[in-house]
Amino acid sequence: MRIISKEDFNKFVNSLIKDNSLNVAGVKSKGNKFAFGQLESAGELRLDYDVTLLPPKKYFFPQRETLVTYDVANGYSAKDPAEIKPTVIVGVHPYDIAALLQMDETFRETKSDPYYSEKRKSSIIIGVNIQNMSKSCFAPQMGCATIDQGYDLMLTDLGNRYAITIGSHKGAELLEKYAQNVTDAIARDIQLVGQKKREIMSAATQKFDFETELIPELLSKSYEENGFWEKHAETCLACGSCVLVCPTCYCFDVKENPDLSLKQGERLRTWDGCLLEDFAKIASGENFRPTRPNRYRHRYFKKGKYLFDRFGFISCVGCGRCSSNCLPDIANPVNLFNDMYHEALNMGVKMVPPSEPEINIRTESKINFVPKLATIVKKVPMTANEMLFEIKLDDGSILNHKPGQFVEVSVFGVGEAPISVSSSPTKKETFQLCVRKMGSLTTKLHMLNVGEKVGIRGPFGHGFDTEFLKGKDLLFVAGGLGIAPLRSLFNYVLDNRDYYGRVTLLYGCKEPRELLFGEELIALEKRADVEYKPTVDWCPENEIWSGNIGVITTLIPQVNFDPETTYAIVVGPPIMYKFVIADLKKRNVPDDHIIISLERRMKCGVGKCGHCQINQLYVCKDGPVFNYSKIKGIPEAL
Amino acid sequence: MKPKVAFFDFAGCEGDQLQIANLEEEILTLLGHVEVVSFREVMKEHSDNYDIAFVEGSCTRLQDEERLKQIRKNAKIVVAIGSCATIGGINSLKNHKDLVNVRQTVYGNKANLFDTYAARPIDAVIPVDAYVHGCPMTKEEFLHVVKSLLLGKKPEIPNYPVCVECKKNENVCAFERGQFCVGTVTRAGCNSCCVNEGTICWGCRGLVDNPNENSQKEVLIKYGLTVDDTINKFKLYFGWQEMKK
Amino acid sequence: MENKNFNVEVHHVTRVEGHGNIYVNVKNGTIERCEWNISEAPRFFEAMVVGRQWSELHHITSRICGICSIGHTLASLKATEAAMGINISDQDLKLRKLALHAENLQSHVLHVGFLVLPDLMGVGSVIPLASSNPSEVKTVLGLHRLANEMSNLVCGRTTHPQRLIPGGFSKIPTMKELTALREKLKASVPALQAFAKLLQSLAPKIPEFVRETEFISLTSPSEYALYDGKIASTDTDAAPAREYLSFTNEYVVPQSTAKWAKHVRESYMVGALARLNINYDKLSPLAKKTAEMFGLKPVCHNPFMNSVAQLVEVVHSVEDSIKLINELEAAGLKRQPDYNVPEVHVKAGQDVGAVEVPRGILFHDYTYNEKGVCTKANCIIPTNQNHGNIELDMKALLPKILDKTEKEIELSLEMLVRAYDPCISCSTHAVKVHFI
Repeated sequence: MRIISKEDFNKFVNSLIKDNSLNVAGVKSKGNKFAFGQLESAGELRLDYDVTLLPPKKYFFPQRETLVTYDVANGYSAKDPAEIKPTVIVGVHPYDIAALLQMDETFRETKSDPYYSEKRKSSIIIGVNIQNMSKSCFAPQMGCATIDQGYDLMLTDLGNRYAITIGSHKGAELLEKYAQNVTDAIARDIQLVGQKKREIMSAATQKFDFETELIPELLSKSYEENGFWEKHAETCLACGSCVLVCPTCYCFDVKENPDLSLKQGERLRTWDGCLLEDFAKIASGENFRPTRPNRYRHRYFKKGKYLFDRFGFISCVGCGRCSSNCLPDIANPVNLFNDMYHEALNMGVKMVPPSEPEINIRTESKINFVPKLATIVKKVPMTANEMLFEIKLDDGSILNHKPGQFVEVSVFGVGEAPISVSSSPTKKETFQLCVRKMGSLTTKLHMLNVGEKVGIRGPFGHGFDTEFLKGKDLLFVAGGLGIAPLRSLFNYVLDNRDYYGRVTLLYGCKEPRELLFGEELIALEKRADVEYKPTVDWCPENEIWSGNIGVITTLIPQVNFDPETTYAIVVGPPIMYKFVIADLKKRNVPDDHIIISLERRMKCGVGKCGHCQINQLYVCKDGPVFNYSKIKGIPEAL
Repeated sequence: MKPKVAFFDFAGCEGDQLQIANLEEEILTLLGHVEVVSFREVMKEHSDNYDIAFVEGSCTRLQDEERLKQIRKNAKIVVAIGSCATIGGINSLKNHKDLVNVRQTVYGNKANLFDTYAARPIDAVIPVDAYVHGCPMTKEEFLHVVKSLLLGKKPEIPNYPVCVECKKNENVCAFERGQFCVGTVTRAGCNSCCVNEGTICWGCRGLVDNPNENSQKEVLIKYGLTVDDTINKFKLYFGWQEMKK
Repeated sequence: MENKNFNVEVHHVTRVEGHGNIYVNVKNGTIERCEWNISEAPRFFEAMVVGRQWSELHHITSRICGICSIGHTLASLKATEAAMGINISDQDLKLRKLALHAENLQSHVLHVGFLVLPDLMGVGSVIPLASSNPSEVKTVLGLHRLANEMSNLVCGRTTHPQRLIPGGFSKIPTMKELTALREKLKASVPALQAFAKLLQSLAPKIPEFVRETEFISLTSPSEYALYDGKIASTDTDAAPAREYLSFTNEYVVPQSTAKWAKHVRESYMVGALARLNINYDKLSPLAKKTAEMFGLKPVCHNPFMNSVAQLVEVVHSVEDSIKLINELEAAGLKRQPDYNVPEVHVKAGQDVGAVEVPRGILFHDYTYNEKGVCTKANCIIPTNQNHGNIELDMKALLPKILDKTEKEIELSLEMLVRAYDPCISCSTHAVKVHFI
């Protein structure tokens, strides 16, 4: 531990500010509150603050950040993540440091985010122990009121001087280069610092009525609580304040911003929040978390359970910002969890702290936000609303996707949308996308001509396990547009026919003119090694149909299959799953013999932006293909 | 072929059309993409042959409806610009006046002055394809809508409250400063510009699609606003939208 | 000429703000009808503010006009502050004067550059000028941009300025920002001079038409009055703003949804020309030089010279703004809290705020009860005060141009209206409303 007088500390900060190669930010007053901001002089610092309006995450994960730029002539290119001035941040409280350490893990898990990590690498954190605790702070209860790492330097106010704990080489070098008159701490100083830390631990006015380790367990028992969430969320304004000010929240949206030339532009990401109404809404208008209680509940679950299951930490550091920023005052986790605990007690629910979760945080690669250029080589309208595109990557490479995976398709100036690959990987030079005209991107895509360019990222997602399915009997059940992703597996199987057992395809649409891949499927009727049964809900007078009429489940009784050896692959609109699965279960098909593919709003494609999350799973990463046994118990899945 | 555009104004202050003039040099770039065939404030010429019509101002008289319907017939796309056109704007403040108790004393024979009814947004009369909210609209959002239309896509406008932008801009919440704000139920897209300038959100962009109005009214009362003043606050810009619910 | 028969009907005159019509009937060389007709929808602002709080009035009345928004807001604030005995600091006074200069700059540049210039250059609008005279158009755009940057800095934005609140400002610029603005203002002088030279080259196209009339504006012993002053007239003595009604005398006219005004003659004129005629000696040095370029000096009775007077005021605004920033710097800019809310002691009262906006003198008259709720309001808009003068000018001009073609007559009458820079939406803000 070292000691520096306050006067010399100010000189230290001023010499940092004078160095033009550094950005220096620190806590300043703003109105009657505090905020991190650019420092012009050390005199602006308010290290005695209680809490800042926004956490320092804004320096690493800014409110608005350009990821990619594009030029219609040349395609897409990444904004260089390393093109930044090193930032010194002065005055970070331990709970905010704890939050940054959590965020480090979420941003590097599986695919690491270079924009975040470069800023973290080049930054210097000068922490300060809490002098004044805000009324809503409960950091001591979350174990975050003091911290032993994650900083380069940590200050403790001892009246006329600061005690400095050195946290890294960077910190030591910084002191060496810019500070004067730094002495070693004496035993008195060390004891004083210890006393200060102890005072902080007992300063919180917010108290849990139980041990916080119980939180994940409490939540797991409270998902469907009768009216609990409705009662607590009744006055929710869906304003997003609680998540926007949270130091551990990291959901983001990605938007296209063309410039006025219409030929160039940028793609940027901005903070998003799961409390906002359209967070889980897709182009068709379907909203997977439509009510305020749904979304209100999701925040607590993500913080207290889902991230715990994945990373082993409760994703809350007790800063109290959510609580103090909620106008109807319903966002205080202490109040909510206490309520939940007492209700559970009253109902006699037994609770034990959760067992050690299986944590496997590893980085496989960096996230790629930059689409590759590709050309539309063929375009065939299939129905009034659906078009089959054949795409070839400009650099000559092969997509090399697994059946069931999807790509993120970009159209210049419009944006990016996830579309499942409709062709089998056995077809190599090009790949196919069956696109329904639904929202902005798909509408614009329909207007493009052969020879025009699109951007492709991917393939993404967990596809069908073609190896595992070898030797099995396969029952394909496709509803409406579900035939599009299903076809990638179906055609793969046909191209490797000998490796698979019986193959049956059931395909249902609303009416005959909506049937996709018409000619291709009719040709199946001629094959002896495939059983093909189509159906329509109804047939209007002016259309011709000689096949089955009835919803898709009416076809299931018409098929003979052995539930022991048969695997059902089901893809269709959300409403279809419940009924088809029920009918399959009636035929004794085991849960783990049913494979489905889910759809959600997907932006980043790599499990970071949060939009496709269903309970603890990411559809873009853990899916979109799921084994039914795995998601059977997931309330938000079906 | 450059799309033809035309500008029209009804009962308003012309502040939104001024924002277009405020595009300064960007007007020249914009003129590279569109052909302006009618813009009364700025040019003599007029043509009824246009693809996109931008309409400012509320409909406040029966005779305005005919004009609006004609514009709808002529145009492929109709864009309402500014709060008066998108939600009724400040004009709708008079809708709440108890017109039975108000007698207009007029000097002379002013029959046409009685030709006035509840001020309304233009989508109360004709279908509208895109909206640029705000009093006034911002030139950034106007350009965003124009660029989207030129690129053939439906303009994306936020369906979340101004709080989102206020928090991103790190403002001190109005309620923390002893003031009263309706940003919690007002549609974002303005980048919380009024709070950034040190005041409050007055609600000029209208309500979000699904506001929890009761909760917001409770919040205002909880923080010390009287019931009457709370109701009055909602009448300022939300008059027409609240009436419609 | 005796056989001249024609009708001129201009529905919704172009290149003016708001909707107005010109109706002319000539039969056998005799003028049967010559009318300036307002058809704009009335907007009832004076009824809308009744029952609203003192803290809201400036926000509502700002919406009377999108172009003179700053002016309406300031007139409104002055009325409220006078009624309740609220004083503003000297610093805030200077900042408000800067705000008015920004507004004058923006509005006059827009008017002369976009709305009048096309007539003088023989085209229908500024749009073709973008291709034929790009550098001139860029000059106008650059000046317009500077004006907007100035209002953004001082008021928050040009249209419906948020920073202007009762008792002062919610937020003020830093001295650094003001000095940067000062540099930009200084750097704009060459562009101003180029613009003035352009207009001078077109001066022969400005019609020479004179009809004697009364001019009314604010006047002050210490400066070219825009923010503060007494009401002055070229015909009578000056009087305090409170006595505005004795000057304006509004009355309703059959062909108009907007009212007319008169003082000692049948009509009077307000606006840049009126201000210049009354306060010429207070113009800044460069402004006077600019006036001399056109031979413009008091008392000029040619309404077409209003546009030139506007150009002169643009130069004055730039010079005076530089002076104001120098004064602010010398006194040292006092910081105020973020999200400032000046203290106000609410009480009953009635008073008048008078301000010069680009188009002329503006009055806001409010009455408040002890709770600070507005019980009565009256707003007199500059353009209302000009309507009478416009029609009388038309009636005097028409006989002089009867020998021209119909198209030329139409253009001349339109140019006459445009010269006044009318703001018609504002002028139809209300009709007299009596509550029972």
